[in-house]
Amino acid sequence: MTALAEARVVRQPGTRSAIRDVAIVGVVLWIVVVAAFVRSRNREATAHALAHAQAAAQAIARGDAPIHATAAAAVVGPAVASQRHAFLSRRVARTSAGDRSLGGPGAPAADKLLYDAANRFEREGAFATNLADGTGRAVAAVATARGPAIAVTASAEPHPGLPWLALLGVAGLGLVVAAASTSIVGGRASGAGVAIGLATWAIPAAWWGGPILAIVVGATALGIGVAHHRGATTRVLTTVREHRIALGFLAPAGVAMLILVVVPFVVGLALGFYDHHHGRWTFVGLDNFRRILSGDGHALGDPLNFWFILGVTLAWTFINVLFHVTLGTVLALGLRQSWLKGKGAWRVLLIIPWAVPNYITALIWKGMFQGEYGAVNSILRGLGIDSVSWFSSWATAFSANVATNTWLGFPFMMVVALGALESIPRELEEAAEVDGASAWQRFREITLPHLRPALGPAVVLGSIWTFNMFNVIVLVSGGKPGGSTDILVTDAYRWAFERGEQYGMAAALGFIIFLLLLVWTLVGRAISGSAEEARP
Amino acid sequence: MTGSRRPRLPIVIAVHVGIALATAMVLYPVVLVVKKAFEPGRQFALSASPVPRALTLDHFRDLLGARGSHGELSFLHHAGASLAVAIATTAVGIALSCTAAYALSRFRFPGRTSALTGFLVVQMFPASLLIIPLYVLLHQLGLLNSLSGLVLVYSTTAIPFCVWTLKGYFDSLPRELFEAARVDGAGPFRIFWTIVLPLARPGIAVTALFSFMTAWNEFIMASTFLTDEGKYTLPVMLQSSVGQFSADWGRFAAGALVTSLPVMALFYVLQKFLVGGLTAGAVKG
Repeated sequence: MTALAEARVVRQPGTRSAIRDVAIVGVVLWIVVVAAFVRSRNREATAHALAHAQAAAQAIARGDAPIHATAAAAVVGPAVASQRHAFLSRRVARTSAGDRSLGGPGAPAADKLLYDAANRFEREGAFATNLADGTGRAVAAVATARGPAIAVTASAEPHPGLPWLALLGVAGLGLVVAAASTSIVGGRASGAGVAIGLATWAIPAAWWGGPILAIVVGATALGIGVAHHRGATTRVLTTVREHRIALGFLAPAGVAMLILVVVPFVVGLALGFYDHHHGRWTFVGLDNFRRILSGDGHALGDPLNFWFILGVTLAWTFINVLFHVTLGTVLALGLRQSWLKGKGAWRVLLIIPWAVPNYITALIWKGMFQGEYGAVNSILRGLGIDSVSWFSSWATAFSANVATNTWLGFPFMMVVALGALESIPRELEEAAEVDGASAWQRFREITLPHLRPALGPAVVLGSIWTFNMFNVIVLVSGGKPGGSTDILVTDAYRWAFERGEQYGMAAALGFIIFLLLLVWTLVGRAISGSAEEARP
Repeated sequence: MTGSRRPRLPIVIAVHVGIALATAMVLYPVVLVVKKAFEPGRQFALSASPVPRALTLDHFRDLLGARGSHGELSFLHHAGASLAVAIATTAVGIALSCTAAYALSRFRFPGRTSALTGFLVVQMFPASLLIIPLYVLLHQLGLLNSLSGLVLVYSTTAIPFCVWTLKGYFDSLPRELFEAARVDGAGPFRIFWTIVLPLARPGIAVTALFSFMTAWNEFIMASTFLTDEGKYTLPVMLQSSVGQFSADWGRFAAGALVTSLPVMALFYVLQKFLVGGLTAGAVKG
C-alpha cells in the first residue's frame, strides 16, 4: 500500500463525517428552497384569486354573465327583517337567473359568504379579500346602484401545498439514504447507496421539469455513485479538506456568484429554447436561434434582420474604438511634452467626460442634436449650413451616436496611453535622438512598443464596453430611424420589453451576444498578449 | 517626441492649439448644461450659445421643491432611493469580497486560476447580458419593482469588481507581515481579521467608493427593473424629466448638476487609484 493510499485510509473517518455534514447542509438548503418556492407560489395564487374575484364582481356590477371559475356571484339586496322571526334578517340575491332569497333549506353553502360579504360591504365599503379557510378562494364586493355586487371564486385546483411537502420528504429521505450508506454501510454497497439515494431526486425533478430533467438527475446520481465507488468523492473531499481555509475564505463571494450569475446565466440559456407568449412558455427547441440567424423573414437590408444589426454593431464598435485610441494617443503624446504649458490643468479638463455619468452625457448630447434650435443645428446655421434632422436618416443618427460615444470614451484611452508613455526611460529617447533618429523612427521604434502592451488590453476592454454601450444608443438616437441604429444588446432588449415580452427570443439573442464576446475576448487575448495570462 | 529638447516654435504653437481645441470640445457640452441650469425657460433642447440670457435659480427651486403624490419632496425621495441602493450594493460587494480577495491573493489551491478568470469574465462582460434571465427570475420571486431586487442585480457586477480590486491591493501588502504573524502562532482567520483588514482599510475604502459610484450612476437596469415612479432612482427620474412629450431641459440641467457634481468630485479624488489599478491589473499581476 502506497503512502498516499495509506493517507486516504487514515482520512476515511474524516471524509465520511464530511459527507454527512454536506448531506445535512443539503437537506437544510433543500427545505429552505422548497419552502421559499411554495411561499412564492401561494402568494401568486392568492393574488390571482383576488384579481379574479374583483373582475367577477365588476362583471356582475355591469350586469354581464358571471365569468368562469366563479362559485357564486350576485348583486345582494339590503337586509330585511324576517316576518316570522324578528331576530333573523334576510337578503335577496339578484342573479342573472332571477332573484332568490339567500339561505334557507337546500341553499348553496356559498350563500353564507354572500350574506357576510354584504354585511361587511355595508360596514367598510368595497373590498376584496382572500378567505382564510385554506381553500384558496377570494371574495370581492363592488358598489352598484342596487346594492353590492359580490363574487366568490371557485376553490383553487389542485390543492397547492401538499405535493411539495411529499416531494420534500422524498428528496430528504434520498439524502439520508445517501449519507447513511457512506457513513454507516461503507465498502462496496456505499456506492450503490449513494446512487439510489440521490436517484430519489429524480421524482421531484420529474414533477417539476418533466421526464428529461428526471433522466438527467437520475444519470447524474448514477455517475456520482460510480465515482464514489471508485474513490473520486473521497479524493475531492480530501482536496477540499486540505484547502479548506482558502476555500472557506473564497466561499461567500463564490456562492454569491453562483446564485447571482451562474444560475441566471443557465436560466438564460434555457429560456433561449422556449417561446414566451402571454405568460405561457412553450418549448420550441432551436427555433429561436433559427429565427434569429435566418433573419426572421426580414431582408438583409432590413433594420430588423440580425445580420444587419450585427453589421451596425461591428461598425459601431470599430469606429468608436478607432476614434478613442487615435484621439487618446494623440492627446497623450501632446500632454507628455515637457515644454507644454499648464500640463496638469489640461489633463484635469480633458478627463471630464470620464467623470460625467454616461447617461447624463447621452442625454446632454441628445439635447444638443435635437430639433431645429438644438446646439448643433444652431452652430451649423452659424456656419451657413442648413440644419439637419439628425434622427431621420441612418447616417446622421449613427454619426450623432458616434460623436457622443467618442466624447465620453476617449479619456480612458488617453489616461492608459499616458501611463504607458511614462514608463519609457528618458535615456532611451535621448540616446535615440543623439544617434540622429527621426521623430517618426523614434515613435515607431520606442514609443509604439511601449504603448502596445498597455493599449492592447485596454482596446479589448474598450471594445467590449462599446459593443454593449446601451445608454448612448437608447438615450441618444433611441434606435431611430426605424431601429436602424440599434445594436445587438438594444435589439435583445426590445425583444424582451417592446415586442410583447418575447423573452425566449431575447434570451437566445443574449446567448449569441455572449458567444460573440467570448470569441472576441479569446482572439483579443491572443493578439494583445493578454492581461490575464500575465497574472499569476 | 521626447520632450528633452524644445522643438521649433510652429510645432509648439500647433500642439498648444490642438490641445486647447480638444479641451474646448470637451468643455462645450458641460458649459451648455451649466448655462441651462441657471437660465430661465424650459425650452425644447440645449441651444448653442454658452452665455445665459439671464440668471435664475428657479430650476433648482423647482427640482428640490417638487412634491410627489404623497406630499414628499420628490428629489430627496429619489435621492434617498439612489443612496439606499448604492450603499446596500457597496456593503454587499465589500462584505462578500474581502475574504475571497484575500484567499485569491495569499493562498494557492486547486481551482484558483479558474476562479480568478471567472471573476474577471463576469466583471468584463456587462450585466446587460443577464438582464433578461434576471428579469424573469426576479419576476418569479416577486422582486421586480423593488429596490432590494435592484441591489441583487447590481451585486452581479459589484462583487467581481470588488474581488479583483481588493486582490490587487492585498497583493501589494508585504509578505513578511503575514509570515511574522504566523510564526507568532496566529491562525489564518486571526491574521485576516487583525492584520490584513486594518492594513487594507485604504484599499477597501477606495474599492467601496468606486462600487458606490457605479451603482449611483447606473441607468438601464434601474429603468428596466423599477416600474413604479415612486421607486425611481435619480438617473431614471432625470431621464423621465426629458422624456418624449414633456421635456423640461432646465430642470434636467439642474438635476444633472446636483446629481453628478458629488460623484465627479469623488472621481477626481479617486482617479489616480483607478488608473493605477487598471494599469497594474493590465500589465502585471
